[in-house]
Amino acid sequence: MHETNKEWLPGFDKKFAELTHQMVKDLEKCLQCGKCTGQCPAAKLSSYNPREIIRDLRMGNVEKVISSHELWLCFFCSGCYAVCPRDINFPFAVSMLRYAALAQGYGWEEVKKIKDPYAQDYYSTGLSVNVNERNLGVRKEIAKNSGTDGRIETVRRKMGLPPKRRVSERAMSEIKFIADATGMTDLFKEINKKKAKEKKWNYGSPADMVKVKKGANQKFIDVEDEEKEKIC
Amino acid sequence: MPRQEVLEKTKLSDRMFLFKPCVGSNKYPGLITASIEFCRKLGIELVTSDDQTCCGGFLTFTNVAQPTSTMPAVARNIAVAEEMGLDILTLCNGCHTFLTEFSHFMNDRPPVKNVVNVILSMIGREYKGSQDIYHSLEIIYKLKERIRANVTRSLSAMRFATHYGCHYLNGFKKTALDDPHMPTIMEELIEAMGGEIAEYGENRTCCGTGLTQIIINKEDLSLPHTKMKLDNLNAAEPDAVVVVCPYCLAQVDRMQQKLNYRGSGKYRVPVIHLVQLVALALGVDMVKLGFEAHAISFKNFLKKFDSIHSKAGVHDG
Repeated sequence: MHETNKEWLPGFDKKFAELTHQMVKDLEKCLQCGKCTGQCPAAKLSSYNPREIIRDLRMGNVEKVISSHELWLCFFCSGCYAVCPRDINFPFAVSMLRYAALAQGYGWEEVKKIKDPYAQDYYSTGLSVNVNERNLGVRKEIAKNSGTDGRIETVRRKMGLPPKRRVSERAMSEIKFIADATGMTDLFKEINKKKAKEKKWNYGSPADMVKVKKGANQKFIDVEDEEKEKIC
Repeated sequence: MPRQEVLEKTKLSDRMFLFKPCVGSNKYPGLITASIEFCRKLGIELVTSDDQTCCGGFLTFTNVAQPTSTMPAVARNIAVAEEMGLDILTLCNGCHTFLTEFSHFMNDRPPVKNVVNVILSMIGREYKGSQDIYHSLEIIYKLKERIRANVTRSLSAMRFATHYGCHYLNGFKKTALDDPHMPTIMEELIEAMGGEIAEYGENRTCCGTGLTQIIINKEDLSLPHTKMKLDNLNAAEPDAVVVVCPYCLAQVDRMQQKLNYRGSGKYRVPVIHLVQLVALALGVDMVKLGFEAHAISFKNFLKKFDSIHSKAGVHDG
């Protein structure tokens, strides 16, 4: 990525807090030291560069960041947060930026890849991993190691467990209710649609939830920021 | 936070809520049975509930469900433990991260917590934020001396490499039990059970799951990264590698099989979760350890383990 920056964005952090569900509001503190990128597993193997992404955001190139392929390369290992001298939790920023990307119609192919194996299982069984083994090689190895047919159900039975982990009916109806009431189900449907480019979706955020009593919450956040400034 | 302070904050109780991880249930069931059994030996009763589902936070950080959806889903799971009045013990770095991060977010923002509770009230539950959430490493380290005193199958002469995973130490650099860059807690625990440490350079690197990278960029990012880690690990010649997260366990275990199948090398290091290792040392029934569900065989590991024990004349419980 070549940096074609505009200019320093005034009041950046306030705008960015909105964009990131108020989960990240301290990118303004970045020193551009590059420690994050130095230890990054994704940077080692690709053009992903956390320092550059923060710089781009600070310069107002938000569209460039959220439309980029690089945004989908983060490992979420939090190594950048561990080394950051200003304690910026960058993986959170990436996660929230990805929602911003989805809202603008980018990255839907990537989430579709994740939705199919995990979210579908969550919605239908309550667990994001099911007992079926996709990799037949692994099943063969388990068969060899356990003297069974290699299915986890069989191994679980041998251990005196029910063939699958049980999730109660009450739990299933509860998570389905939450999914329907909060828009999770709608988002799944949106992800399933074929034409990725046309997807635009107005995503909810904790900020929206807070609107019920926005004054109180806003006050809290301001206090927190002031405290941080004092410490620095 | 200094280790002593974290340890003082960690409360041990006779009963705890075992938060079952998805991978640890449907791929590596030994994690759950081993935890229940070894805790029983140490006088702690682990309680589980079928009302608990996948933590839920996972869906937000993989970008398939917005935080507004998973916040109530996470709160619901915590509420299940709260109704029993129990602190939560997690076996997975992911569950621990999501439960802790979301509960902090809600506890720090009363209006968010109120809205979440409006949704939960419709299903007859309430999130209070009254119970503590612990990572298995914290509880096991707190139990270190009790474990040392109760070892019936010493790990002596066995060499273990450690893998801490990312989310616990990196993500909680201010509140975790140890330093994210040079952690030693797992090594101390292994030595307390009589084992030896096989050091290797890539100890602190990610297993390669990368949360979603195993799905979205498997060939370009995830697999090469795991291979790099495994090559370094192999050179240290450990008898097994010890992990504290089911996702790391699945990645390191299954990708060895994959790389072997593709002819990219010979990888035969068994992968063991810390709870299984403690259960092994405390003499829990071998069937309950669930080694049979692993892709990489424990045959050689157990052969060496048994031969050391028969030589030493130690009774193998």
